[in-house]
Amino acid sequence: MRLRQRAEQLFNIEHIVPVVFLFLSFFAWQVSGLTGTFVFNQVLTRFIRDGILVLSLIIPVVAGMGLNFAIIVGAMSAQAALLFVISCQVAGLGGILSVIFLSIALSVVLGFAIGHVLNRVKGKEMIVTIIIGFLANSVYQLVFLAGFGTIIPVANKEIILSRGIGVRNAVDLSMYRNTIDKFWLLKIEGLEIPLFMILVVLLFGGMIYYLLHTRFGREVKAAGSGSEKAEVAGINVNLLRIKVIILSMVLAALGQLVYLQNIGMFDVYTAHMNADVFSCAALLAGGASIKSAKIRHALIGIFLFHTLFIVSPQAGQNLFHNAALGEYFRSFVAYGTIAFALIINVKRENM
Amino acid sequence: MEIKNLSKRYNGIPALTNISLSVKAGEIHGIVGANGSGKSTLLNILSGSPLIRETGGYHGEISFAGNRVNLKNCAEAIRMGIGMVHQEFALLPDLTIAENIKLSREHTHKFTDRLFGPKYSFIDRKRNDESAARILQKLRLHLDVDVKIINLSTNTRQFVEIARVIDRTDLKLLLLDEPTAVLSRDDGLNLIAVFREMAQNGLGILFISHRLEEMQQICDRVTVFRDGAIVSSYEQGEISIKNLARDMIGHTVHKATAPKREIKARPAISFQQFSVKMPGEEINGLDLTVFEGEILGLTSLSGHGKLALGYGVMGMYPTGGEVIYENKKIDRMDAKANILNGIYVLPDDRQALGILPEHSLADNIIFTGNQIKNLFSINFGRPFSGFIDRKKANAHVHQLVRNFEIKCASLKQKSKELSGGNQQKVCIARALTLNPKLLIVAEPTRGIDISAKEKILQMLLDINRTNHTTIVIASSELDELKRVCDRIAVMVDGKIFKILLPDASETEFGLALAGEEGTKNEEF
Amino acid sequence: MKNFSIKPPQVIILIFLIVLIGLAYVLQMDLIVLFNESLIKLVMNGVLVLSLIPMLNAGAGMNFGLPVGITGGLVGLCIAVNFRLTGFSGFFMSLLLSVPICGMLGWLYGLILNRVKGREEIAGTFIGFSVIPLMNYFWTLAPFQNRQMLYPIGGQGLRPKISLEPYFYNVLDQFCLIKIGGIEIPLGLLAFYGLICLFLYLFFRSKVGRAIIATGENEAFSKLSGIDIAGIRLIAVILSTILAGIGICVYSQSYGFIQLYDEPLSMYFPAISAVLIGGSTGRRTYIFEAVLGAYLLQTIYLLTVPIANQILIPEVTEILRTLITYSIILYALLYRDKRGIVH
Repeated sequence: MRLRQRAEQLFNIEHIVPVVFLFLSFFAWQVSGLTGTFVFNQVLTRFIRDGILVLSLIIPVVAGMGLNFAIIVGAMSAQAALLFVISCQVAGLGGILSVIFLSIALSVVLGFAIGHVLNRVKGKEMIVTIIIGFLANSVYQLVFLAGFGTIIPVANKEIILSRGIGVRNAVDLSMYRNTIDKFWLLKIEGLEIPLFMILVVLLFGGMIYYLLHTRFGREVKAAGSGSEKAEVAGINVNLLRIKVIILSMVLAALGQLVYLQNIGMFDVYTAHMNADVFSCAALLAGGASIKSAKIRHALIGIFLFHTLFIVSPQAGQNLFHNAALGEYFRSFVAYGTIAFALIINVKRENM
Repeated sequence: MEIKNLSKRYNGIPALTNISLSVKAGEIHGIVGANGSGKSTLLNILSGSPLIRETGGYHGEISFAGNRVNLKNCAEAIRMGIGMVHQEFALLPDLTIAENIKLSREHTHKFTDRLFGPKYSFIDRKRNDESAARILQKLRLHLDVDVKIINLSTNTRQFVEIARVIDRTDLKLLLLDEPTAVLSRDDGLNLIAVFREMAQNGLGILFISHRLEEMQQICDRVTVFRDGAIVSSYEQGEISIKNLARDMIGHTVHKATAPKREIKARPAISFQQFSVKMPGEEINGLDLTVFEGEILGLTSLSGHGKLALGYGVMGMYPTGGEVIYENKKIDRMDAKANILNGIYVLPDDRQALGILPEHSLADNIIFTGNQIKNLFSINFGRPFSGFIDRKKANAHVHQLVRNFEIKCASLKQKSKELSGGNQQKVCIARALTLNPKLLIVAEPTRGIDISAKEKILQMLLDINRTNHTTIVIASSELDELKRVCDRIAVMVDGKIFKILLPDASETEFGLALAGEEGTKNEEF
Repeated sequence: MKNFSIKPPQVIILIFLIVLIGLAYVLQMDLIVLFNESLIKLVMNGVLVLSLIPMLNAGAGMNFGLPVGITGGLVGLCIAVNFRLTGFSGFFMSLLLSVPICGMLGWLYGLILNRVKGREEIAGTFIGFSVIPLMNYFWTLAPFQNRQMLYPIGGQGLRPKISLEPYFYNVLDQFCLIKIGGIEIPLGLLAFYGLICLFLYLFFRSKVGRAIIATGENEAFSKLSGIDIAGIRLIAVILSTILAGIGICVYSQSYGFIQLYDEPLSMYFPAISAVLIGGSTGRRTYIFEAVLGAYLLQTIYLLTVPIANQILIPEVTEILRTLITYSIILYALLYRDKRGIVH
């Protein structure tokens, strides 16, 4: 039995997908002609930006709820919190703390609601979370495009569009930008390694690892393996699932905050777009599947996926004299990876 | 544990009626009974299964350790010290043996215990594995506890399931549903020895089994269930296998049995080492010959395979072995091919598989005939082929409805609105429309009222006598099988155990169902 | 038809519609013009809505993979335009080309869907999403010759929006246009739509069609009755895809532009929402439900534009539309299985 398990381990998706990505990235990188240092720095930046977001996907997968596309809601709650705090003109440390506090609060509430909804559609969580994401996006736009300035009073006029209603497209975050980003910046021959932020991401990774190895984590794994059977063992599966979603949302919110403070510019209406799809694709690229995800999948996946992401346009330019083709390639890779994961995994279930 | 006047109904149909029994600490109390006698329902109630609550709860008093209790869910039952080993393993397939055994009770590092509380404390993997290995050793097993459940054999899984429950130090009452069903004789005896030891240490055990021999050996008391009520109870010393077998079946209400007929020895269909992998009802190495024109009854305890035959023939589940029909081997169990060749199967789960609920009863009756054999269809040429000739179809349906007294508001009434009995009549009418040579029916009278039962049995008889259709009836209603069948085959553990004539005694049937006494098939 | 009962989403929609009509009246908008528009919009989007029916009936759920069919139709359109075909011949050529292309694509799509039973909708979503960037390659690299279709000098590949004016813009809309007072009734358009409805109606009365419905209603029963489940589902998917291709052709000729690249991404959720508004439960769907839903949704869309312009901010129309669309779909997903429909 050990042998069979070993054999399975060698040839399975968990290893094949990352290897494929590795080859693709390497090939594309060579073709693109970009320097290793440049690519490395870029990837590291993405690692920091997207790290926590991708990590937030892990626990729902283990709980058997599939890919949580609703992390976009977590991201939006962070942005909403940020906008509120900016509009109330709270600056400095107090501002940062309020943003963090508010976004956590908001994501807890939304996570609770979404968790409830998902408990009603066991088995179809993924399609529901995608639609929830779209819906939430519409609501978000409604609130900030139409609501701000009309129903919601705004103190800080700087962020409002010239016509008086609605938030501007881009809000400058220079007051928060790169405050902690450049901590402990290590420079080795052109490579820039912001140690502090990397440690932050790894810390979150460590937290999730820890959680998954507690009794709580075992219960999550049990629920993911078979929810009725877990019920029989005395686990309150519904409550567990709600907790899992709340956790995912909070992490997504925090992740989005890290992302925004790293970029420094806040594109109000588009910053969160595609956060869900690209994060899921990154997780899958690292070898995760819809049923199983580990910390290392997230960490490796971000590197692989974002390397491909960064070099594709230039590779497209060099190969076909058309950078757009490179961009299509990376869109295709992102969506295609998820489609592939969905198809392969269900096939295994039906076996 | 003390149970008084326990009753439970599923959708109005009584599963348990006024059950009263008790289990003392250190006592091994066995329960036997035929299908549908309520034994599993009893254990489900005692273990707090959510199914019970979802279907209306139960009535009656249950007291545990002197206190009246109300079992709402599994977590509560577990907290009280009740542990259940299920028939369909409740093990989590993707977790390892150790993880399953110690679920919710994992050993954790003391350090993090103090920091975050027991639930969020880091798990001590080594201690966990050791503890799991220890409990397995108690069951005389030496396994690598790091293997995932999906990679284990059924035998081993059963042991792990048991290990999980007995690992609990707070266990006071152990419930077992057919624990030895999947085990070999030796493993079964091993297990029994372990249980006896645990009982001696004060654990109360309540277990269901059909292996009457084991019951006789180990139980302090045996209670026999039939049709949801207790019919008898024996103390250690009074237990006799024959008595148990007889009590399980009870006296047949109708003394009449089918008259002996001359059956030609021409085989309609024969199975050789046939196997069907239907989860819960596996057939394994079945050898059976059904003769032309006969009505053959097929019976077994639940889970022993009688329901799987029809499904296997129609290719619903993976099969193995050989099936020879009309002197030709059937290569693939393909429903369409079989129907065209004259085989038709009516499933036992009428609601789920037997009807198209949103279609009218008329459409239901002509459906298969129209799809497969192009009956009642008008063809206009390739693309638009197959419209239904309503006039012909309605005439045909009308006649069937009249003949079989199918009660309905109109031919267009949706089949989901009909009563169970009428739905079954519709199914049989559909079969008749196909005019099959071999008809396999499963549980034809399940969930149907008395008068309709009569009608349906009569319908089957008519089909057989008039059209010379060979019929195989898989059923747990021994009563009815005795009335209409020429022979009755008893299955145990997925094989034919014995073929009896309808006029055999209750005891003979009871023993055969339990797999006792003799091991040879008897082919006529 | 007999079991048409008003369910909550329809009540909400009807109320919404009445409110909007009331508002329009109060604001003295030209209701006649709106009515004329609504008829055209009905057919323009209606065929796409109809395309969902075969897959719904087969139990394959809502076709979130509509881009597959839409792509096929777009290819047909582009080829027709490439050869500078105009008028009816142009339009029908694009239809003729779309059918085999969509047939093939639908076949592939159907094979994949057969492997992901139970997760057709999410799998379809991402298959649809993946097809779009893939097709972007095609639009950029395929050897189209018609200068009007391509980027002006310096670019490569087709333009994102190709005007149909010189070719067959409104060719079907204008066909047999009857004017009564201010009301314009596009008979040709409605007849075409009616033809497709008739085709679907007859199809689902044929043997294959009835097998599809049975499979969607109770798959195990159908299997036991000898129906080849995989094959039947494949037929349903292919049919849905072909109809989607036809749908986009009708849409484009009415709209006046062929929209390529990332446009299909947002185009199809309204169709799904429409069929749900019409009363579909995500399972067996009747033709009139699709028609009704398409009409209701399009009318609401129509009404939101001028009203929002007058009262609120112009962007709000788009947001409101998407809000309605997704809420309906979410509601259907949540409440679909609760209505006790037999699987």
